[in-house]
Amino acid sequence: MQPMMMFIVVLIPFLTGIAIPLIPFSKRGHMMAFLEGLVLLNSALVFSLLMHRPEESFAIVKFTGDLTLSFRIDGMSMVFGGLVAALWPLATLYSFEYMKHEKNERIFFMFYTITYGVTLGIAFAEDLVTMYFFYELLTLVTVPLVMHTLTREAILASRKYLYYSLGGAAFGFIGMIFIIVYSNSPDFVLGGSLDLTKIGWRTDILLLVYVLAFLGFGVKAAVCPFNSWLPDAGVAPTPVTALLHAVAVVKAGAFAIIRLTYYCFGVEFLRGTWAQTVVMAIVIFTIVYGCSRAVKETHIKRRLAFSTISNLSYILFGVTIMTPLGMVGALSHMVFHAVMKICSFFCAGAIMYKTGRSYVHQLDGFGRRMPRVFGIFTVSALALMGVPGLCGFISKWNLAAAAVASDNPLAFAGIGALLISALLTAIYMLSIVIRTFFPAKDFDYETIADVEDPNWYMLLPLSIFVAAIIGFGLYSAPIVEFFTKIADGVY
Amino acid sequence: MHESMILMLPILVPVMTGLLLLCMPAVKNRKVLIGITAAGLIVTAALVFFVLFQEADSFTFFYLTKSLPVYFKIDGIGRIFVTVVTIVWLSGGAFAFEYMKHETDEKRYFGFYLIVYGILVALDFSGNIITFYLFYEMMTLLSMPLVLHTRSREAVMAGLKYMLYSFCGAYMVLYGVYFLFRFSNTLTFTAGGVLNQELIAGREQFLLFVVFLMILGFGVKAGMFPMHGWLPTAHPVAPAPASAVLSGIIVKSGVLGVIRTVYYLFGADFIRGTWVQTTWIWLTLFTVFMGSMLAYREKLLKKRLAYSTVSQVSYILFGLSMLDQTAMTGSLLHVICHAFIKCTLFLCAGAIIYKTGKTRVDELAGIGKEMPALLWCYTIVSLALIGIPPTGGFVSKWYLATGALRTKLPIVSWFGPLVLLVSALLTAGYLLPVTIQGFFPGKAFDYTHLKKKEPNLTMLLPVIVLTVLAVLVGMFPSVVTDYIVNHISGLF
Repeated sequence: MQPMMMFIVVLIPFLTGIAIPLIPFSKRGHMMAFLEGLVLLNSALVFSLLMHRPEESFAIVKFTGDLTLSFRIDGMSMVFGGLVAALWPLATLYSFEYMKHEKNERIFFMFYTITYGVTLGIAFAEDLVTMYFFYELLTLVTVPLVMHTLTREAILASRKYLYYSLGGAAFGFIGMIFIIVYSNSPDFVLGGSLDLTKIGWRTDILLLVYVLAFLGFGVKAAVCPFNSWLPDAGVAPTPVTALLHAVAVVKAGAFAIIRLTYYCFGVEFLRGTWAQTVVMAIVIFTIVYGCSRAVKETHIKRRLAFSTISNLSYILFGVTIMTPLGMVGALSHMVFHAVMKICSFFCAGAIMYKTGRSYVHQLDGFGRRMPRVFGIFTVSALALMGVPGLCGFISKWNLAAAAVASDNPLAFAGIGALLISALLTAIYMLSIVIRTFFPAKDFDYETIADVEDPNWYMLLPLSIFVAAIIGFGLYSAPIVEFFTKIADGVY
Repeated sequence: MHESMILMLPILVPVMTGLLLLCMPAVKNRKVLIGITAAGLIVTAALVFFVLFQEADSFTFFYLTKSLPVYFKIDGIGRIFVTVVTIVWLSGGAFAFEYMKHETDEKRYFGFYLIVYGILVALDFSGNIITFYLFYEMMTLLSMPLVLHTRSREAVMAGLKYMLYSFCGAYMVLYGVYFLFRFSNTLTFTAGGVLNQELIAGREQFLLFVVFLMILGFGVKAGMFPMHGWLPTAHPVAPAPASAVLSGIIVKSGVLGVIRTVYYLFGADFIRGTWVQTTWIWLTLFTVFMGSMLAYREKLLKKRLAYSTVSQVSYILFGLSMLDQTAMTGSLLHVICHAFIKCTLFLCAGAIIYKTGKTRVDELAGIGKEMPALLWCYTIVSLALIGIPPTGGFVSKWYLATGALRTKLPIVSWFGPLVLLVSALLTAGYLLPVTIQGFFPGKAFDYTHLKKKEPNLTMLLPVIVLTVLAVLVGMFPSVVTDYIVNHISGLF
């Protein structure tokens, strides 16, 4: 494939997005076909690009000297880019149905599609500068999505989101400057690019910078104490919460941290230092904190958002182990959590869309009326808990195996945190499942007679996700092997 | 098609039948439902026994990841457990055909009942800890609908409590499994343990902590103090036949877990004489006493029986914690006896509820005049549980006590048997009042309103069969003990 293609796949969503409000579609169906067609085409292009990836990089702009915007695809890009490209068409399909009951859908689809391009930009970035550029852009294009309903709540939430993200990026910026100054090249190199002779006596300063940058990028990955924007941003329409706030945006944060840790500072430099202890402690705390808050929430989307906070820290826990195995764990949870969480969010969205109810205690007896949605929800709940045979088990296994192998006592405690979190997950997910399938004895099904399963626009993505959850759970060898190769630097 | 694939049949058949029942639209004719369930149970039981006599005894189903196979292997312990499961499950099923008439949602009940049967067979056939853990979690999830079947607020809360305690235990186990994966040669159950001595050098203390965590974790299912709280809540709220299998069988999977962990993964020698063994022994002894005491004070019959389970299963765990061949023989014998006995007791309690609606012990005066055959069975198994010869309970306790004395451990080798004796007295104290009041309600009792209420044969037959078995085990114990000794002698 031509290196140029990397730029084209980022550009297509941009142009499509801008075109949507401009083209006067006579029917909604036409717009749907146009949009879905182009998104699918783009995903197909991305996949063919990943299959035959170009070796050389592609520079878009040169600012000065080393500062360029350039793309290159390595293993990490393949994981994140592939993930995004696989999920976007399905989420778009789902949105067509969901957005029927919202206003201004063209504006929505415009920003929604542009975000696709921006996320690919982050995935394909060759160096920290490029990644930083798209990272900031991601914040800007997703703010209108959070604000979409234009209620007071939504505006406040989007403002909070903006401030948090920009603030975080500022810390990331500090990290970027130090990397540029103290490394041989700003490109991502597995193992890090720091030049120890340049650093000299400044080791501790650089470690401090790492912690700051970790927290800075951690804002998007909702690391405690910078997590509160994420549940608030749940006021956005469900496709946004599901795809952006469970996958694209938050995983961009995790992705950036992986880049920072494994490809800029390098694990050799960080492992065993106080910086590792600090970030790992923060992450372990977040794992338990997110789950505990999720148990308390009664709004189903907020509950899932807190669950996301906890699960993102699973990924970061893998990152902070700072071994190749840890990276395998992080990558597997990055992919598997994406599938599980988008699945449960879409179920939540289907409930809200079909019935307008959004609180857990309003869902009594829904299991019998919406058997497909709740069957799928149950599977995703079990997967999130880490029941063997579903993909959540595999990623937790990889994380725990890495933690055990690292011989780091704090990581041993981290496994405990994973399991406590699994228990809390059982509480906040299965309490919903039980309520919906086993309502109280005197429950009258007539009161929810109008509740029914949604149509195939919603069910198709859900079925594909649930198939992926089970499929990866039962047969994960090829994908985990692929992650192992990435962590070992083969790709 | 691999020949050993046949091992999968007794697992798949009940699960499929159960799924069929669950997915099937509601049927008008109850007989269809019963017919399918009965067929499922009988075919599975036949398959189980067929498989036990097959030459092929191991089978790798598939690989979860490259190093984690789902692997089945039938060994002596598995054979014992699966036989007990089958007998009890058939009895409980037959009893439920009549009993469930007065409950709603029979289809769901029988569906999950069958599925859990398949899961239990799989659990007993599991050849490595991953497979075991997989089915252990499934068992928790799928038996939960049996607990909260009535859907009263109390039942749903009990179901949640059951689930949370169980998962808490399961995750403690999983914590251990993660470390085992690193520090052992294989995760396949191997007599004598699988620890890699080179890798664990210098880490013994931490691994002792891990094994303790695993024992506690499996102990949750077995109702061991301090995680016994769910058992007296969850078992009584289920419909009686479900309580019977929960108390008789499901708790035993915790026991099986402990056996597998201690004897087949870490090895008895690894924990002999360590703080883990000491703590474990004292926990079990405390549970034995506490369970009996709580049962003695409890007024609701089913709840009393549930507390009794807490106490009795810790007899089994006590025997295991001795790390002695005789004591372990006693434990396995008690697994069998307690399964038959406790199942009978719960079925009796169920029959009484079904026929009279009475649930409290003090309401049962004169019940022996109304349903004599049932109360005779109740009395015989009560005696067996107390440990009066020639019943099964006597033999198992004999082995437990002599095993404990043989170990020559300080204090516990004589204190243990003493606690068992005291607990036996308490057992008599909480079980026999029903018999005494039932047959001899006293002079002041008004005999005129008594009616013949003997349950019909569908309910009575399982009770009688289990009672006879409980006695037979005691009369011809050598058949069983020889088999047990044969299979566990390699563990010490």
